[in-house]
Amino acid sequence: MEAVARRKAAAYVCRSCTRQFQRQLRRNYSNSAPRPDIYDVVCVGGGPAGLSLLTALRANPVTSHLRVALVEAQDLSKVKSWKLPPNKYSNRCSSLTPTSALFLDQIGAWEHLDQTRVQPYHEMQVWDGVTDARIEFDWAPGSAPVEGTTIAYMNENLNLTSGLLKRLEQLGGVSVFEGANVENITFGEEMEDLDLSQWPVVHISGGKQLTARLLVGADGANSPVRAFAGIDAKGWDYNRHGVVATLEMEGEGWGGEHTKIAYQRFLPTGPVAMLPMPGNVATLVWSTTPENASLLKSLSPKDFVAMVNAAFRLSTVDLAFMHTQGTDQDDEYSWRLQHTSFNPRAIPQTVVGVQEGTVASFPLKMRHADTYIGERVALVGDAAHTIHPLAGQGLNQGQGDVQSLVKTIEFAVTHGQDIGSIMSLESYVSERYTANHVLLGVVDKLHKLYSAGSGPLVPLRSLGLNAVNALGPLKSFFMKQAAGSGTKIF
Amino acid sequence: MEASALRRSAALVARASTRNAIRPAVCAAISNSSTSSTPPTQLQTQQTRQFSALNRPPPNYPGHVPLTRLERLGLFVGSGLISLADPRRGDLIASFAEATATPYFIYRLRDAMLSHPTGRRILRLRPRITSQSLNIPYLRSLPPNTVGRTYIDWLDREGVSPDTRSAVRYIDDEECAYVMQRYRECHDFYHALTGLPIVREGEVALKAFEFANTLLPMTGFSVFAAFTMKKSEQKRFREIYFPWAVKNGLRAKEVINVFWEEELERDVDDLRRELGVEPPPDLREIRKREREEKRRRKEMERMMSGRSGGPEDDVLQKAEKEAEVVAERVKEMKDEVVEKVGEVVGSSSMRV
Repeated sequence: MEAVARRKAAAYVCRSCTRQFQRQLRRNYSNSAPRPDIYDVVCVGGGPAGLSLLTALRANPVTSHLRVALVEAQDLSKVKSWKLPPNKYSNRCSSLTPTSALFLDQIGAWEHLDQTRVQPYHEMQVWDGVTDARIEFDWAPGSAPVEGTTIAYMNENLNLTSGLLKRLEQLGGVSVFEGANVENITFGEEMEDLDLSQWPVVHISGGKQLTARLLVGADGANSPVRAFAGIDAKGWDYNRHGVVATLEMEGEGWGGEHTKIAYQRFLPTGPVAMLPMPGNVATLVWSTTPENASLLKSLSPKDFVAMVNAAFRLSTVDLAFMHTQGTDQDDEYSWRLQHTSFNPRAIPQTVVGVQEGTVASFPLKMRHADTYIGERVALVGDAAHTIHPLAGQGLNQGQGDVQSLVKTIEFAVTHGQDIGSIMSLESYVSERYTANHVLLGVVDKLHKLYSAGSGPLVPLRSLGLNAVNALGPLKSFFMKQAAGSGTKIF
Repeated sequence: MEASALRRSAALVARASTRNAIRPAVCAAISNSSTSSTPPTQLQTQQTRQFSALNRPPPNYPGHVPLTRLERLGLFVGSGLISLADPRRGDLIASFAEATATPYFIYRLRDAMLSHPTGRRILRLRPRITSQSLNIPYLRSLPPNTVGRTYIDWLDREGVSPDTRSAVRYIDDEECAYVMQRYRECHDFYHALTGLPIVREGEVALKAFEFANTLLPMTGFSVFAAFTMKKSEQKRFREIYFPWAVKNGLRAKEVINVFWEEELERDVDDLRRELGVEPPPDLREIRKREREEKRRRKEMERMMSGRSGGPEDDVLQKAEKEAEVVAERVKEMKDEVVEKVGEVVGSSSMRV
């Protein structure tokens, strides 16, 4: 019909007027059925994984022309302007391996992190709470990799997200829908000139609809995107809670300011870890039973501090008993300390205080999605996998996913492929799935191995730990794997 | 971006070099205390460091004698053999108990105490049981069937005193030494609780009970003394007391966790119920009954044989027979006295 009108008009009307007429025609047509708002990438979830994905896409010259959108339920301006006094730290911290840090540096986000709040650590002390078998991850002379001796960087999650947001603002070009809940995800409609029936459409609060060439789910363990894609996540709950807190220590640590040490003791209820933060501050991650966790949260600061000190020093019998006490753990701790022998230099310095309001807990579970991709859908970070925090790998796995997905998108763009098709996404899942699965499995088995309080497993695991500790090359292999700088096996 | 990366790597190199300088010191401090040359702190003295008889470390508590491994082995073999040959050497049985309590067993018993609120309180307050601490006249004034009265009645019946416990010397851990001391001092309360006498048979039965309950190796080894008992006693032990000991010892709560000093006014049956201990048949009664039975049987035999002689026996023959009976009775009584004396002497050494 349009063509007929054009031909008829051409005889009487000049060309420019014809064009204007045509445009009006088209506009009238679009008014009757609104044009869908199509983005190349819609990322649901503005956590570390989602934000670094968008930052990486914007920072990469190949993918920077893509039309991208971010949907986040929280108010991001609050996160961006996040600020705490220099001696106060958030209780949600993660370790970033040098590989993750390097990636963040490549996408230009690392320098936007508040560097005074980032603490690298160089050694790890890990020991068995039942037998005291110990492994010391310190770099033997000559074994240190050329990249440096840093095993990982301790960093507040908010420092990372805030830094990523600042970098994203600097790069610009992202349509941000903050404070917006995902109400529904559907497929698009088939139209005369455009078939969107295979394209996901994100309905957000306020009635806005975003159509995505590629929908990325960075929306956490209960991912709506994963549910939309019909991808099942398998795994189990550990029936454990991770108790976190920001602790004040008596000093900067046994290694001083420049050699910070991370500590982890495996108790039958779960591992308890103390990780260094700048100055006299440390962050606690204590996996324990839900009952113990709720007790710990109910304690007075004095008793909580006593319990944390006890967790790194006293016998498991004493600890079990102290968890049955409603109060007075402080008194009990000072009595038992007189009858317990340990090497004070091999365990963290004494905790002297806990920052107010930082004691919290969250349930621990293991989940792994059956796949990370669907037609026009990709999952990254916690949406794809949830891991026990004992190895401090959760956030790093997410960064690895993002790095791989961006590489996949970049390849599709350079080769003129549709970035949303399963074909072009395939390389992402093949690169990440096995690696993540092995790590999830190893960490899961470690948790189970150390859950035994007695029995034949206990001497066997101690023998194994001592053996690894004695075998230098094997130990440095594990250290390089943990730091993410070792050879890729999977 | 590149410049900042360079700056960072330069900083890392600088950091690494300072670290290298301090690492030996840190490593030395962190590496195992048993091999490093750092002087042991006060807390570390309890750790097993190898030493010889010539440079014995200072004691961990008053009366403590740190032993080398060889000395400990010697103590184990020597005290074990001699006390088996001569069960009256209570001092050697005590040493044997200490030589066999480590590794594991005394720690297990301590952990059993640490897992129990009362056990923990005992370890914290460290009460000692002596005739002074117990206030004997007060115990006598308690109503019958209280724990305290049962205990004192048992002491009186057996003719013993609570002050015969030797001090622990060969257990290195100071707290475990107290646990052993506590076990020793509570031993008479276990007697009172079960009513078992201090004769060899009663001791062995109680040791079997204690082994099932505390798992201390000495108590287990002591059960082998059952083979030195008379045939009839062995049979009784096999059929009554050993099954009782195993059943009750395993079923009962850890008796080490009873704060006896606080339970003195309590009804003893109530305590037995709470602990899950049922008293065995009274051993003294059984032994008395058996002795009487034996005597009656012998007398009856004699009378039967006397009657078989017939009415035509003359007076002389009758008198001779009577004299014979009297002599036999005297001999029997003598035997009984000897046995009783032996029991009293022997039992005082067995009570360890």
